[in-house]
Amino acid sequence: MDFFKSLSIAASGLKAQTGRMRIIAENIANADSTPARLGENPYRRKIVTFQRVFDRQLDADVVKLGRVATDRTQFGSRFEPGNPAADARGNVLTPNVNSVIETMDMREAQRTYEANLNVVTATRRMISRTLDILKA
Amino acid sequence: MLGDLPVFSILKARMDYQQTRQKVLAENIANADTPGYRARDLRRFQPPQANDLLTTASVRPAVTQPGHMAGLLSSGVFDAPGTTKGTAYETTPSGTAVSLEDEMMKLSANQADYQAAATLYSKSLAFLRIAIGRSA
Repeated sequence: MDFFKSLSIAASGLKAQTGRMRIIAENIANADSTPARLGENPYRRKIVTFQRVFDRQLDADVVKLGRVATDRTQFGSRFEPGNPAADARGNVLTPNVNSVIETMDMREAQRTYEANLNVVTATRRMISRTLDILKA
Repeated sequence: MLGDLPVFSILKARMDYQQTRQKVLAENIANADTPGYRARDLRRFQPPQANDLLTTASVRPAVTQPGHMAGLLSSGVFDAPGTTKGTAYETTPSGTAVSLEDEMMKLSANQADYQAAATLYSKSLAFLRIAIGRSA
């Protein structure tokens, strides 16, 4: 029945957005992860990618999390001479995580997640409508 | 057997259409953040051989003067929501052309249409029940 396919497709959307939230959480948690010693790199921001995959069983395009890529922008730096990872001029490399971007990304994930949940609710209501025919 | 009655076969086709549309909308929403994905929709609903069914099965009012009403059963029995295919979607820089608001609107319209069809179906069943002499 197509309704159950709709539910599966919406579930793939929910799952993809959950994975995205996981990566965002990782980025935010590591926003201050400076290197332990000189010569190492601080935390590099991760970026999720989405792929549409044709599911033969559902006969539809579902969404899947693709490869997790890394952000290639430059690291920031902060003057902190006491830090064990500070270079000769007293600067420490900081992660290239921008909390504003992460927050925005999180909102987008939230919005899409809610949209998928709406599909589930609407579909469930339609299924129960169908079952109501039996009761009539 | 029930499917032989024009009302039921049309309603069944309508509900099938709504189910498939739900699947397509679920696909759009699940892929709302997939780069390069373009939203899709079904074409308008065409009742199966509506003209044959309705003209053979229904009693048409006699038209003897220009002012007489000819009956309503010609075409456009169900007015499906117009599809927005071909209109300008917003496209994000990553090439995703899905407007979540639009999809939500379609989703609720689809749900309402399905409810209408399901209610009509159970009402028609109640009529049959009256015809065979049981109280509905």
